[in-house]
Amino acid sequence: MKSLQHVNVYTVEEAVNTLREFQGEAMVIAGGTDITGVLKDKLLPDYPKALVNIKTIPALSYIKEESSGIKIGSLATLSELSKSPLLQGQYKVLAKAACNVATPQIRNMGTIGGNLGQDTRCWYYRYPHSLGGRIMCLRKGNGPCLAVAGDNRYHSVFGGQGCFASCPSDTAVALLALNAEVKVTGKWGTRTIPVQEFFHPRGNSLKKVELIQEIQMPYLAEKTRGCFLKYTLRKPVDFAIVSVAVLVAMEEGVCSEARIVLGAVAPGPLRAKKAEDFLKGKLIDATVLEEAGHLAVSGAKPLSMNSYKVEIARTLVVRALTDCAFD
Amino acid sequence: MPERFITLFVNGEQYNLEVGERPWMVRTSHTLAYTLRESLELTGTKVGCNKGECGSCTVLIEGKPVLSCLTLTVECDQKKIITIEGLEDPQTGELDPLQQAFVQSGAFQCGFCTPGMILSVKALLDVNAAPVEEDVKEALSGHYCRCISHYHVLDAVSRVLKKAGE
Repeated sequence: MKSLQHVNVYTVEEAVNTLREFQGEAMVIAGGTDITGVLKDKLLPDYPKALVNIKTIPALSYIKEESSGIKIGSLATLSELSKSPLLQGQYKVLAKAACNVATPQIRNMGTIGGNLGQDTRCWYYRYPHSLGGRIMCLRKGNGPCLAVAGDNRYHSVFGGQGCFASCPSDTAVALLALNAEVKVTGKWGTRTIPVQEFFHPRGNSLKKVELIQEIQMPYLAEKTRGCFLKYTLRKPVDFAIVSVAVLVAMEEGVCSEARIVLGAVAPGPLRAKKAEDFLKGKLIDATVLEEAGHLAVSGAKPLSMNSYKVEIARTLVVRALTDCAFD
Repeated sequence: MPERFITLFVNGEQYNLEVGERPWMVRTSHTLAYTLRESLELTGTKVGCNKGECGSCTVLIEGKPVLSCLTLTVECDQKKIITIEGLEDPQTGELDPLQQAFVQSGAFQCGFCTPGMILSVKALLDVNAAPVEEDVKEALSGHYCRCISHYHVLDAVSRVLKKAGE
């Protein structure tokens, strides 16, 4: 890893001002589990001039309940999330997603802001510079997406706009199901982005002088039940091959509201709207859930080597729905 | 750049380190694993993959197991760090009961993953004096051992728990 300037900041304003001073050539570091790897492997053609350490901002580390819902500071670690007494009931989906990330050590370091903002794990994108030079691709701004003709077993099965890398975040899947919003602060002030719009076909909509300040989750209907499932080759460490977050509100066996979100199958977390609409107002039984599983993956356009992910996604949706409906 | 010093408390000892580009200084790019091994010569901490996947480099910062290969040294200012060297009795050199149990159970072959494993179990036992097997497995889920010593590690942990219960 090359040396670079390192600045500790103590307030959000100071962080934004420092990012401005470096005119987009500084990167934010919090838990460091993702960015340290990016810097060590010199993935990006532009090496940053500075790191802005926001771990020193005490005011960003909280999980609190307010009248409008639950608010989480971007520095709350994943292990804090997975143990938080506030994340009960339907919010358990988020706690479950957090405790499924990587390993205990990484959960002690990694923050929810970083989990949302992390870079993709596409193996072409992540190819280290020290082993014969980094691989340039569309996402890095030069060349085609190598996954299209290459080995794409872990890539997007729901298409992409030129880049077929999938979104590795587990918490994003749960947060989209929970209808969460991301509060982002930059030089123009603060803006709030729904999780759906936070993700972008080639990354996320964070500008270089912005940082995630807070995650806001609204209250949901009382009877909502949730389930988060993640399929990986090894249970710890691995990123999801497919992850699924499901929230279902039931009234006397009839589904009144459903939210189904698929993760690691597209450039961002993906809502299965067709399946959600199909479930609404239906009396739930096994055949209805099977049909919902089929609808959830109905728009899939797998690449040459990853059609198996579609089958896993369908199975996980059915399992998660079954868990919510017959629990 | 202005002069900058950081203070680490490693195994109870205070280290004042200067941040800068000179050979004896801590660079901003140095990971905690590098500083521990190369600057402080505490080579008990091992670096396996250097990517945060294997868990060999695990140390305790403020009592929590973290990966020292993904932690920047400059960000550890004023932090209490425990490495494997910090477990033995500083006066007598006697091993920690946990280390002793690992020895008695033969819970390693090459021993490369062992410092990290012991520290993760140590952190677990500090917050949960009577963990069930699932807790131990969960705490150790971030450690890889290519010699398949995991069974013996579980054996070592149950040995230490049994001893503590007596």
